[in-house]
Amino acid sequence: MVATMTNPLRVGLRQERVIAPQCLVIFGASGDLTHRKLVPALFELFKQRRLPSEFALLGCARRPWSDEEFRGKMAEALADKIAEEPKAWEQFVDKLFYEPVDLQQPEDVVRLGGRLDQIDQQCATRGNRTFYLSVSPKFYGSGCRALADAGLLKDAKRSRVVIEKPFGRDYGSAQALNQVVQNCGQENQIFRIDHYLGKETVQNIMVLRFANTIFEPIWNRNYISSIQITAAETVGVEERAGYYESSGALRDMVQNHLTQMLAITAMEPPGRFDPEAIRNEKAKVLQAARLADEQEPWNCCIRGQYGPGGSHDVPLAGYRHEPGVDPNSTTETYVAMKLFIDNWRWQGVPFYVRTGKRLAKRLSEVVLTFREAPVHLFDAATGGPTANQLILRIQPDEGAEFRFEVKSPGSGMRSRPIDMEFSYDESFGEPSDEGYVRLLADAMLGDPTLFTRSDEVEAAWRLYTPLLELIEDSPWQLPIHPYESRTWGPAAADALLARDGLLWRRP
Amino acid sequence: MSPQLTLQTPLELAPSEVPTYLEQLWSPQQQGNTGTGANTFCLLIWQPAWAEQQLVRSGRLQGPVTGQQTKALIAAGRQAVSDADLPLSTPPLNGTVIEAIANFEGNTETEDLRGQYIDPALSALMPRRLITLAPTIDADHPLETLVAAYCPLPEEGGGTTACGDVVVLRGGFNALQDGMTILEPLLPDSMPAWVWWNGFLDEAPQLMERLTCAPRRLIIDTAVGDPRQCLDLLRNRVEAGQAVNDLNWLRLRSWRETLAMVFDPPERRDALSHITRIDIDVEGHHPAQGLLLAAWIADRLGWDLQETEAIEGGSSAQFRRPDGAQVSFQLMAVPMGQPNVHAGQMVGLRLIAEPDNGQGVCVILCADSGGCMRLEGGGMASLELHEEVVPVQHATPEMDVARQLSGGHDSTNPLLAAAAPLAARLLP
Repeated sequence: MVATMTNPLRVGLRQERVIAPQCLVIFGASGDLTHRKLVPALFELFKQRRLPSEFALLGCARRPWSDEEFRGKMAEALADKIAEEPKAWEQFVDKLFYEPVDLQQPEDVVRLGGRLDQIDQQCATRGNRTFYLSVSPKFYGSGCRALADAGLLKDAKRSRVVIEKPFGRDYGSAQALNQVVQNCGQENQIFRIDHYLGKETVQNIMVLRFANTIFEPIWNRNYISSIQITAAETVGVEERAGYYESSGALRDMVQNHLTQMLAITAMEPPGRFDPEAIRNEKAKVLQAARLADEQEPWNCCIRGQYGPGGSHDVPLAGYRHEPGVDPNSTTETYVAMKLFIDNWRWQGVPFYVRTGKRLAKRLSEVVLTFREAPVHLFDAATGGPTANQLILRIQPDEGAEFRFEVKSPGSGMRSRPIDMEFSYDESFGEPSDEGYVRLLADAMLGDPTLFTRSDEVEAAWRLYTPLLELIEDSPWQLPIHPYESRTWGPAAADALLARDGLLWRRP
Repeated sequence: MSPQLTLQTPLELAPSEVPTYLEQLWSPQQQGNTGTGANTFCLLIWQPAWAEQQLVRSGRLQGPVTGQQTKALIAAGRQAVSDADLPLSTPPLNGTVIEAIANFEGNTETEDLRGQYIDPALSALMPRRLITLAPTIDADHPLETLVAAYCPLPEEGGGTTACGDVVVLRGGFNALQDGMTILEPLLPDSMPAWVWWNGFLDEAPQLMERLTCAPRRLIIDTAVGDPRQCLDLLRNRVEAGQAVNDLNWLRLRSWRETLAMVFDPPERRDALSHITRIDIDVEGHHPAQGLLLAAWIADRLGWDLQETEAIEGGSSAQFRRPDGAQVSFQLMAVPMGQPNVHAGQMVGLRLIAEPDNGQGVCVILCADSGGCMRLEGGGMASLELHEEVVPVQHATPEMDVARQLSGGHDSTNPLLAAAAPLAARLLP
């Protein structure tokens, strides 16, 4: 039937790549991520018929649940989604199983192997297994080792491991973890997840760049004067104080999500659309990236922490007053920094990266500012001609806009900027899949394109090593600048750009 | 030769010995020699390859007979169309061509490797058991039963010890019927079983009934065989709840995708509620694919079929939209100089929407293999025109089948399940 909000001809067409019969094993199945993201994403894949009939989800955690208890917990957590399609859930829930497993106990893992063989028989899942480590990061290494010791990663074609972020705490620990997991299996079995790469709009940066001839010739230092990458959140630390206190914005957002956006924006065109070709180019560009001033990083990096704010009616607590946060915490909730990429394409072009909590708006975007026209022939209505900008909106209001000068109507020849817009909503009118839907499907398909490879992770950590060392050794040199909640961050971050005669884009 | 590795030379056994032999082959005592039997799926293929057999027999195609749809086979089929003075628009491997070749002289004998010649797209999926029924053009040919174990080569994703076996039943039709008794024990209930009917849907109905019973999952091609029987079979199986995969429907995917794409921008969606006319052109006189597309559109938009009628060169129908307005539908057969190997493939689609108080919209989709001048002709000057070119799919049947098998569902795609009964009713 025709509905005003959906395209009736679009329904059921998203079945491009089909996942092979498979058992997905989630460790940490009693945790938050499983019922909040993973099982909803799998249910969505099931509704879209992108899961094969021969599919099983085996939840594993230490709690002594039965299959039925696990199914009940998931049904409780997904009640809203189930209410929309109860029949689909009835079919899906039969594919959920549970096995109490403590990855630190070898006998548990051996028993798990037996249960998996049983499921292979029962559900014809053909021995294809994806192990998802949704456990505390400190168990990533030992978890992989336990699986390898039990022989569950022996078949490189049919078994793989998905590892959540954060992958290490710094360059050294990431290297050590890489060594451990690579001893357990081949690199192509390891899927390091970064849910930002699951976003349509992040992937669209690649399509925009490499499927259109008009952008690539000007995507370099000859035409682009600077690039800004922003990931702003309006929320505070919420219930994650325990984790956040030990990570901060640099580890939580910059090293992974923002650095991946930077890599995709700045990478060279791959020779072909192939996971390794793409990951080679991303690794290369990260290896060429550096802080603008590695010797004196305080010149190119600003750390901030949100203070109280909000309105009289809805006051917002400052970070140090959040539950679970040390009242004297020096953890940053905001980071802004300037980077360079030392290669032929980007030499001399500053990349400004910022992220923060409790900022004025929730948004992620990449802004490419082009060089000004060499000669200004016309008066500009706004005082001076505005540089062309290409704005790639990652979220919300996904899309892109291109800002350029046109003749202002009327007599005379005055120019003014206008925006040419592309909006996912207006063009496609359908919400994109949640990042986990795409990434889980890709992991089960064995397609690592949107997952980070070991050298990428290490290059990303190495890039920020001078900062991490400074924070560790002499934090007073990288002081925390307080900023009011629901503003655009500390004034020092504006000064970072002002020194180059620039402003942060105010979206 | 496609990459495949048999662990042994195919062994000719008496039919009654086959189940026991295979049971022993994968017994724990034997596994050290042959690797582990893959716990995947069984695929049963009806593989008559009539055109290939006749072309090889008449010396128009070099053997061996493999059952695969190669370029050489298609080229030989096209040449036969010309040699037999058939209209150039005749698809190169269809029934008329096979009848014509059967009258050509020649008695070339060659090896018959049907069932032993595994396409890489299929062997990469590591089927546990491939059973091929290979009827011969010599109706009196006695039953031969061949058995072999195989492992995929490393370059096609093998290299592990998960292996499978192939069973070939070859012979004249009656001999094959006699050999059916060994099939049941060869298809264990513990594994999904697929049946690919790689022949005309209107041939050997009793055998088909016997081979394709539920819960076996069926793969057919509604472009092969009499359109009425093709669409009825599809409808009956879908309505009976069997999992059916139609390669002809699969080949429509770029048409469905392109048409959906036209209406992705929300401001165009309103036009979908005001469609007044749909025209579809297909290659030659096999309307199944065109009707499936029309049925999909009608189902998605909630139209009721009112009447259908045969007209010269095609068929027409009337639908009623949810708001009570009428939609006219017409399907026409268009002769093509270089026809697709699959009969009745889509050539073009025209859809006209006329909102009461807005500008009319005309959408024309045209296959990239040729023009669609008939649909572009006249009467649309006042309409907002959207034209798109639809890429033609060039996948081999084996690749399409592998696509179905790789993520096999135990139910029919809901879009096909909804469209199939309506498509059958649309055929006058």
